[in-house]
Amino acid sequence: MAEERYPISLWINEERLEKLQNVGLAGMAKEVLAGLKVLEVPCNDAQKDKVLKVFPMAKFDSATTKSIELLPKDVKDKIFDLVVEEKSLEVMDKFLSAY
Amino acid sequence: MSLIGHGNKELVERVMPAAEAAARIKGMKAMPVREQIATEIVGLSYGFFSPLQGFMGRADVDAVCQKMTLADGTVWSIPIVLDLSDDEVKNYGVKEGEAILLTYQNQPMAIMEVSEVFTYDKQFMAKAVYGTDETKHPGVARTYKYKDKFVGGKITLVNEPKITPPFDKFFLTPRQMRAAFAAKGWERTVAHQTRNVPHTGHEWLMKGSWLQTNGELPVEKLLTGVVVNAIIGEKRKGDYIDEAIILCHDVLRTAGYFREDIHLTSLTFWDMRYAGPKEAIFHAILRTNLGFTHHMFGRDHAGVGTYYDIYDAHRIFDKLPPGALNIKPIRVLDWWYCPVCAEVTYSGLCGHNKEKKSFSGTLIRSIIQDGVKPPRLIFRPEVFDLIEESAKKYGFGSPFVTDEYLAKRNPVFTMPEMSY
Repeated sequence: MAEERYPISLWINEERLEKLQNVGLAGMAKEVLAGLKVLEVPCNDAQKDKVLKVFPMAKFDSATTKSIELLPKDVKDKIFDLVVEEKSLEVMDKFLSAY
Repeated sequence: MSLIGHGNKELVERVMPAAEAAARIKGMKAMPVREQIATEIVGLSYGFFSPLQGFMGRADVDAVCQKMTLADGTVWSIPIVLDLSDDEVKNYGVKEGEAILLTYQNQPMAIMEVSEVFTYDKQFMAKAVYGTDETKHPGVARTYKYKDKFVGGKITLVNEPKITPPFDKFFLTPRQMRAAFAAKGWERTVAHQTRNVPHTGHEWLMKGSWLQTNGELPVEKLLTGVVVNAIIGEKRKGDYIDEAIILCHDVLRTAGYFREDIHLTSLTFWDMRYAGPKEAIFHAILRTNLGFTHHMFGRDHAGVGTYYDIYDAHRIFDKLPPGALNIKPIRVLDWWYCPVCAEVTYSGLCGHNKEKKSFSGTLIRSIIQDGVKPPRLIFRPEVFDLIEESAKKYGFGSPFVTDEYLAKRNPVFTMPEMSY
């Protein structure tokens, strides 16, 4: 059985879209919710638990979306910058290694 | 206008006229109470918690925990208790058979006729009410924080709290709410419980429940109201600020998403216990006392984490004996965004299960925190603008609860000065 993945939603505002376009990654953002774009950075179980431990203000939306929400914007900006740097959504091991 | 409340009993109103109160409290021994207790004194005195006339004694607490009823058999799901330490009982001279003046914000608030001082097994209480004794559950944590003695007895308000703006125009006592429903000519009213700023999923939950409630009634003159009854109480960091919640609900009507003649915004002071199904029963009781005929219950009503199945709060109503509640539950599924239908639609109708996109209040908060304005199909622009305005006016720059908001916010009500 495939391992369950839980996304961190990085919502795409104009600034983030421009950064993605500059490095040719705009296609990585998925269109959801009536045109709103998002980068979904996947976490496995262990990564999800560590994110929730390191950032206690974050919340796992277990009832509806099964995603990790409410991470502070500056934390999401760091994850976003790592996605751009690595040109990949699989960045959580590297991101969490600093914590 | 009927004044019959929960349990087919007359609505409780225990408010002493000002002149009588001034004379009665002179020289009484006094004891300060904390915010939660003051909030519950408001609930008890105006009849939100009818048929309760005061804080529970052991027999009622026992019946709530063991049978989900009061001692007389009336359905009740959450203990309403006043806790004190041994020292407080001793130092304030709290004695069975005597009355004591309860003060809040250094002003007289209510007289309590102490009928019982007792102890109770808090772990048993927690497990019985919340189905768990894990301290991660906020209701369990609250129960464990209770001090070691409980004091039961009738409460009479001697000093009416002054509700502060912007909450004042949304606070209606059960008697006032019933009068408001009668003035609007509503034969049926459906309650929308909330502690959230509304996104369009909430909006459609309300619209759908209005349709369900209106049912076979004529439609040339509408006789059904959908009434937001926001829970205003203890906040956790990251929640929306109370001011944004109440104002953003009201703007849905003033901006025309609801007609003037079918919508009302109101509030109840209550600290959420997150008791899931048990809290759903409590909310049904509360809204019965407010005069509602119907109550909408969505997914994971009043739940927290994964303690309850998402439809436990629907199923619990099937376990009650007929006639135990005088309010009809309106059970609803999710509304979601469907890119194929190109609309927010009801999951009980839409067949695009693979394509649908669910969204929640938490997800919308996440979008807003990222500095992104959600599309109007998901979040009304008037609501978004009002969130920003509320953040500036009431939230010290944030629409979400921060340490600064918790420390400096205006109280939701204040106690007028009164000598004693």
